This record gives sequence, C-alpha cells and structure tokens, in this order.
Amino acid sequence: MRYFVSVAGEELEVELGDEATTVEGGIVEADLARVEGTDVHHLLLDGVSHRVVATREGKGAWVLHVGGRRYSVGVEDERTRTIRRMAGVGQGSGGPRPVRAPMPGLVVKVEVVEGDVVEEGRGVVIVEAMKMENELRAETAGKVRRVLVAPGDAVEKDQILVELDPLDGEDPTDG
Amino acid sequence: MLSSVLVANRGEIAVRIIRGARELGVRTVAVYSEPDRLAPHVMEADEAYCIGPAASSESYLRGDRIIQVARDVGAEAIHPGYGFLAERASFAREVEEAGLIWIGPRSGTIASMGDKTEARQRMKAAGVPIVPGLVEPVVGVEAALEAAVGIGYPVLLKAAAGGGGKGMRAVNGPDELPRAFEAAQREALGAFGDDAVYLERYLDRPRHIEIQILGDTHGNVVHLGERECSIQRRHQKLVEESPSPVITPELRHAMGTAAVRAAQAVDYVGAGTVEFLFQDGDFFFLEMNTRLQVEHPVTELVTGLDLVAWQLRVASGEALSFEQEDVALSGHAIECRITSEDPFHGFLPSTGVVDHLDLPAGPGVRWDGGIHAGFPVSLHYDPLLGKLITHGKDRGEAIRRMARALDELVVGGVETSAAFHRGVMDEEDFRGGNLSIRYVEEHPELLDGAPSREELRVIALTATLLERLRASSPQATRMGTGDGRTGLSSWQRAVHPWSRR
Repeated sequence: MRYFVSVAGEELEVELGDEATTVEGGIVEADLARVEGTDVHHLLLDGVSHRVVATREGKGAWVLHVGGRRYSVGVEDERTRTIRRMAGVGQGSGGPRPVRAPMPGLVVKVEVVEGDVVEEGRGVVIVEAMKMENELRAETAGKVRRVLVAPGDAVEKDQILVELDPLDGEDPTDG
Repeated sequence: MLSSVLVANRGEIAVRIIRGARELGVRTVAVYSEPDRLAPHVMEADEAYCIGPAASSESYLRGDRIIQVARDVGAEAIHPGYGFLAERASFAREVEEAGLIWIGPRSGTIASMGDKTEARQRMKAAGVPIVPGLVEPVVGVEAALEAAVGIGYPVLLKAAAGGGGKGMRAVNGPDELPRAFEAAQREALGAFGDDAVYLERYLDRPRHIEIQILGDTHGNVVHLGERECSIQRRHQKLVEESPSPVITPELRHAMGTAAVRAAQAVDYVGAGTVEFLFQDGDFFFLEMNTRLQVEHPVTELVTGLDLVAWQLRVASGEALSFEQEDVALSGHAIECRITSEDPFHGFLPSTGVVDHLDLPAGPGVRWDGGIHAGFPVSLHYDPLLGKLITHGKDRGEAIRRMARALDELVVGGVETSAAFHRGVMDEEDFRGGNLSIRYVEEHPELLDGAPSREELRVIALTATLLERLRASSPQATRMGTGDGRTGLSSWQRAVHPWSRR
C-alpha cells in the first residue's frame, strides 16, 4: 500500500509493499519499536538510530517529536485519498482573508478601523501574551471588512481578529 | 545560619533556591497559586501554602499575603528569586519592617538601582561609564522628540522602572518616535505600574557583558568574573556563557573593578549583577540587577561557588570567606534557556501540558528546571521551562557538550526553543565567538526551521508505520521491514505481510 505523508509543508511518499518498504522511492530497512506504556518510539532506519516521541491526534493525524522539534504529521493511504478526492473535499475558496491570533492572549490595541486599506506587513492588532506585546501584521494588502475584537478582549489561538477583503484586481482564491 | 526561608517565587528559580537551602539544612517554605498545586517547587519544599488564584497579581505578586504566610509559619527570611517581587523596593521594605530577613540588597539599594535614570546618575557620579543619553525620565512625546535630536538617532526608549526588555523600543527616526513612545509607556505601565521612560543612544553592534558581584554586610564586595549574554531576542537573553570569548584578564579586571565600585556606591549586599554594553573595547554601564540572575549557573560552574548558598550565608550575617584574588575561573560554561516558545514562528508562546520529559545527563551537564511530565504550561507565567547548562575544560568542549545534551533533551506537549539552541551550537559565528546583541537578527537562517531531508524521511516512515500498526494490531509494540538481521519474530512478520522474507 502507498501512503502520502504531509509534514512541514512537504509531502512524502512511503510504500509498505509485500516485497519492500520504500521512502521516496528508495528501499529501506526499518525497525520501529515502542517502549511499553509510553509514547517513546525508537526507529532503526538502515541501522541509524532515531528516537521519536509520537502521540496520535486522530485518524491519520500524529504529533511526532524528532530532533528537538514537534511536527504535526498527516498520513493518508492511496485508497482514502482517491475516495476523498472523488468526494471533492478540499476545494479552495474565495472570500475575506482573516488575521488570526497566533496564540491565546489579550487584545491591547486595534490599529485599524473598518474600511481602512492596509498594505502588506502593516500592523493590525496588538496582542499581549506572557507580558510581551506582539504586533500582528496583515499578511497581504487588503481593505478591512470587519473588526471582530476590541481592546481588553481575551482571544483564543486561531481566533479571527480582523477580516480583510482582497484589493481589486487580486485573485481572492489561494488556489 | 538562618533556620528557615520562604521562597516567594515559582518555576525553576524557586526549585534552585529550595535546593540550595536544603543543602544547608535550612527549612524551606514554598508559596503557590491554585494551578501550581502540583508544581515542582511545591513538591520540593518542606512546606507549601496557597496564596491565591492563577493571576500573578492575585498570588505571586501579593506581597501582603506572602509576608502573612511567613509570619504565620515562622519563616525567618524571604527569598524573592528573580522577577515578580524581586526588584520591588516597596516589598523589600515591607519585609524588613515585618522583622523578616530580606535575601537581597537593602530596599534603599533596590530603589536607587530600580529607577534606571537614578541608577545612571549614581553611576556617573561613581565614575562608572554610562551609555550617552538622558539621566532623567522624559515627559511627553514633544520632549522625547527634542531629546532624541540632542542624543542623535537611532535612540532607545527605555522604561525608567524596568528591565528585561519590557517597555523598550528602538527608534530610527522622528517619524517612528510617537508610536514607539506610546507603546513603551503602555508596556512599562503594564509591566511595572509606572509609565516613565527615558532615552539613550542606541549602540549599533554591542555585546552584552555583565559582571557578577557578591557583597556581605561587613563591607566586602568581590566580583566573580563576567557572563556574556549577547544572544538575545527583543532584549530577552537566550544563550549565556562565562567567560566571554573576548574578555582578556586586563578587561576583566577593569570591568570587575568598575562593577565593584558601582556596588559600593549603593552599599550593595548579596548577589547582584552589573550589566554593561561592550563595543570596540569600551564598556558602558547598562543597569544593575539587584537580585540573582537567571543565568547565575554559568558563573557557579566556572567559579565553583554556590551563589544561592552565599546569598543565604550573607543574609545570615556571615562574611565572605575569600578575597578577590582567590576567585579563579576554571573552564567554560554555557547556558541555554529552554522556553515554551516556538522559535520558528516568531517565538510565539506555546501552551499545553508537558506530556513527556527526557532530561540530558552525563559529564558536565546541569539542568535547572521548573517542570515535570504532566505539568501544564499556561500563559499566566514566564515561558522559561528550565535551563540547560554545560561545563567543559574550554569553550569548544562546552559547546560540543551542549549540542550533545540538547540532542538528549525531549520536552513533549509544548513547542520549545531547544531546536533554535541546537542550531546556534553549530553556527559558525557563535563557534568563533563573533557575537553582538544583533546576533539573532543577523542569523535569520536559525529561525527558518525547515527539517532536513533525513528528518523528513524518519518522520514519514515512522508516521506511516504507526498508522498501519494502529489499523492492523494496536497492541503490538514493534514493527518493521523484518528479516533475520533486524531480529523480528515470526509472529510479527506474520502480522505484517509487507515484511521482506
């Protein structure tokens, strides 16, 4: 069976075949063992030692700790992918571009009002977390459609703070 | 020696102080906020008392409650650690007035050094070189604009009451000043309850080098050499080391003497730090921190002195048992601050439960931590999870040891800064000792964080095997492309038909 693994913006192909296991087309020898009662795994990949702490987040969704970093990893087998694609899930959509809170925190200041035209990189909202102020900037130029928070509001990670409409002449879809 | 001490802090520094006190046979009393019921400092102390809910303003900053606990349980002294109440002169005075021993300099000393403009005046008077700029707070944007012209752009706006980068803003020209002024005032007010700010000249590529000092109540003050803390981000230190790769014995003597003079000018008692900016062979007084520093362990490792133990001895009235010429630096030590921040996404704070913790060990490795597996990391407190410190016979050995130790460290459940530090250990300018406080912005590649091809292969294969294993035999603890050499048993091969025969 072929699997598609998405991690850090990349997609890799792994095949667990009857004859051989391949990663990105290259045949490998692998031995994965788990320390019982823990999330600690150890992979010998062609004899090279790798410690991996892995937790399952849901079907085909894992968080792997490798080389001092955590990675969110998606795994999908070929059949599931085909079915999903036929169902037409995953279409890009147009509409407003949100500015989201990258972490939970407290809104200190909103630097735009509805109708403002902002350039890319312009500060939009200041959020305080852990006693430090973080200025959130517009990732693309746009016109402020809605401001959804006010100073003093507590916000959650990924909460939409401000919505921007793309400027005329720009393709609003991201593909 | 004191019989007991209340530790008015949490996290790694509370654990560090409790360790030092217990080694001297001093009874330790912890205080904690409601969500810290199971925090390491609560577990390590002899006694622990709850002082309020999660918000620091209702718990760790409630000096009145802390003093009340100390009285109720008969604690003789209060150790504030760093942060929270450590540099609040008013709290130190209340402790003194309550008849308790304050582990730190006298409240008057804290007040004179806590106000950064007054500190600059005092240092200037004591003949310690200061960064050119104002020695008074500036009132209003207009006055700030005027002062900036006199000093010359770029200028640095700083909180008069502050430290740690809060309320600090660099300004390149007059157009940037009004906004920066407003932000600096707001941050200063939030962090210190005082919105006074002042201006000084912004040095372009200085190194941050600080001198550890130690004074007793008998008028003795010594310095314990320097620490270089140039690797910073937004004025928060990330990596510290001792000695500095650029400080010669002559410079150490000059800076050490200036630091001792600075300490004597304010009748310093206990452990303190005189921070300098160092550029082109010149050094300028930056500020004095009237407390134990986060990075004190590197000094402990190269001097062989236990700073917490000395704080307790000095507070007990003991005189220093050594003189300046007895202080010798041995080898090299490096510290990496492991914080719950994601270095590859602008050091954004990360929260969650530490679901896994593997700590490095072995020769020359020290971990001063404030977490354990199962501990929740929230936004209420400082993101410092712990400090990894290594000691080697020279700088190269300390660096290689740190790289090895970082490879052993696993903190699961939250993002941490560990991978950034691992990158620094391999980076050429760091290895060559070519540092300045602009180091992080001059090395954007360290914040890129793209995994290597090999890491991607490991991740892809592991995730696939795990997903397949889960679908076929959730109880199994092992799988792979088995054959005789990998030693997988026959049942495993039977379970996994893709195994090579």
